[in-house]
Amino acid sequence: MKQLIMGNEAIARGALRAGLGFFAAYPITPASEIMHFLAEKEGEIEFVHAEDEIAAIHMAIGASLAGLKAMTSTSGPGMSLKQEGIGLAHMMEIPLVVVDVQRVGPSTGMPTLPSQGDLIQARHGSHGDYNPLVFYPATVEECYFYTIEAFNAAEESRSPVILLLDGFLAHLSETVDLRAVKPHLKRRKLKPLGGGNRHFTGLLAREGVPLTDDSDYYRQWYTRVKNKIMTVACQYNYFEFLDNPQADTLLIAFGITARVIRPLKKAYGLFRPIRLFPVLEKELSQAAANYDRIVVIEMNDGQYAGEVQRVLRREVISLPILGGKIHLREIQEALNAL
Amino acid sequence: MLYKDYVKWSRWPTTWCGGCAIGIIFKQVTFSLERMNLPREKLTVVSGIGCSGRAAGYFNVDSVHVTHGRALPVAEGIKRGKPQLNVLVFSGDGDLVGIGGNHLIHTARRNVDLTVICVNNQTYGMTGGQMAPTTGKGIKTLTSPHGNRYSPINIQGLITANESYFYARSSAYHINHLQKAIREAFAWPGFAFIEVVAYCIENFGRRMGYRYGYEMLLKIKEIYKINHSPQGLLKDNELGILKK
Ligand SMILES: Cc1ncc(C[n+]2csc(CCOP(=O)(O)OP(=O)(O)O)c2C)c(N)n1
Ligand code: SF4
Repeated sequence: MKQLIMGNEAIARGALRAGLGFFAAYPITPASEIMHFLAEKEGEIEFVHAEDEIAAIHMAIGASLAGLKAMTSTSGPGMSLKQEGIGLAHMMEIPLVVVDVQRVGPSTGMPTLPSQGDLIQARHGSHGDYNPLVFYPATVEECYFYTIEAFNAAEESRSPVILLLDGFLAHLSETVDLRAVKPHLKRRKLKPLGGGNRHFTGLLAREGVPLTDDSDYYRQWYTRVKNKIMTVACQYNYFEFLDNPQADTLLIAFGITARVIRPLKKAYGLFRPIRLFPVLEKELSQAAANYDRIVVIEMNDGQYAGEVQRVLRREVISLPILGGKIHLREIQEALNAL
Repeated sequence: MLYKDYVKWSRWPTTWCGGCAIGIIFKQVTFSLERMNLPREKLTVVSGIGCSGRAAGYFNVDSVHVTHGRALPVAEGIKRGKPQLNVLVFSGDGDLVGIGGNHLIHTARRNVDLTVICVNNQTYGMTGGQMAPTTGKGIKTLTSPHGNRYSPINIQGLITANESYFYARSSAYHINHLQKAIREAFAWPGFAFIEVVAYCIENFGRRMGYRYGYEMLLKIKEIYKINHSPQGLLKDNELGILKK
């Protein structure tokens, strides 16, 4: 059955399909509709309109520890507040999904205008070293599918997985047949609280016993957790590559930006990463190998371009689209001027 | 089950200083659990950060030690996720009332079925003894070297502002009263908050001229009196249990 639904609603439905048991959030444009939709399901799931975003993510951590699949959603200002919980969930190895519908920042910025400015925050926003999985859909159907995949990856990696999207996609309505999407669902591996004597802590710990001055152990621990996440990431190598043997330039873009530049496929190669982090190093390198020029187009001042440059170790041109406004003509002109 | 069975002896000795009030309070919790005969698998303990916040790790049950101030939201998530668990929050005044103050107001308002033990030692013990929102007026600490200019926060007022509440004030000295408060808090079908008047000898008391923890304990005995059937709110020097 085809239905006209909005990106935010597709995320909420994807979460339910994945087995969502707990949702907490604090209202914020342009993410609120996820909350509104899930509020209707109170009773079927545990739903909390929390006092703030810090509470929302910590409640989600608690619910996940208690055995429920849990999610929280927000936009940039709330994402900044959630960083504390993201770090805690990484340290305690708790599965969780965090949705960030980006708007123009910093601070309260331009609340109703879309952006892609939270990439580095999603990757590095909490203090210390960690390696989050981050997905970025580009269609309403993908919002549904990658929400489910975010839950799967969270369960497998026992870590908080981030779903990034832009305000455009969140509020875009498309006709989709969600029943035609047939995802595989990963089961919970973490045993719920109660009955044991496990200790979960944000401190560096071995088997629940804090080891806060053992640098050698820290290194072992870090390597184990990083390898665990990288291994899981390899099962989620999502991207789209429209190779164009006639073209000398490869355009890299994701989310709304990738949609807007799609008409350029006759003149350029197009690469759209869906798993933004950990960066698809092999896939990017292979795609870029036959192109003379690499251009990253994104609605921020070169956040992903920096990542691409780091991976390819060659010159990468950044084409920033700032201030929440995007037009194909402007992009075309900027490309022509290169 | 005996009180000893609720203790994770493999973690002994604790990080607490000799003579600290937290150990006394921890022990009263385990005595209360024995008296209630609460099965281990029905209990989980959540703590935030601080000396008091280390308690979660010393209970022989599944337990969680979260970030500073966030014990209540994590506990709420757990309770909603698995309502058959008794969720005990054991943390400090700085953690629950200072940095976690917003969560305290709202978890109490939502009347989430938790039992909260707030060790009120009127300072930030773990970080060296800075002023807390609970520190008395005029008291000198690392961050109020000229004397605290502010009045302490009224926790009783915060909790009893709600439509329904359980608020108890007890102390590390009045251990029978504390155990009674703990038992009643576990039995209360909603948010139950116990403020336990305590002290920190190493990072707070010494600066005020106390030499030993027990001197601070005796000071509590001297100041506080139990009101067994309070009418209305407790006076500043009273201990008691308020339910509505
Ligand atoms: C976000 C954050 N800010 C500051 C700290 C540093 N810190 C650790 S414990 C503590 C105070 C704890 O005070 P309280 O809850 O009263 O516990 P006590 O040590 O007195 O038992 C602070 C400020 C921290 N760990 N995290
Ligand atoms: S510093 Fe103070 S509160 Fe912390 S363990 Fe020592 S005496 Fe107790």
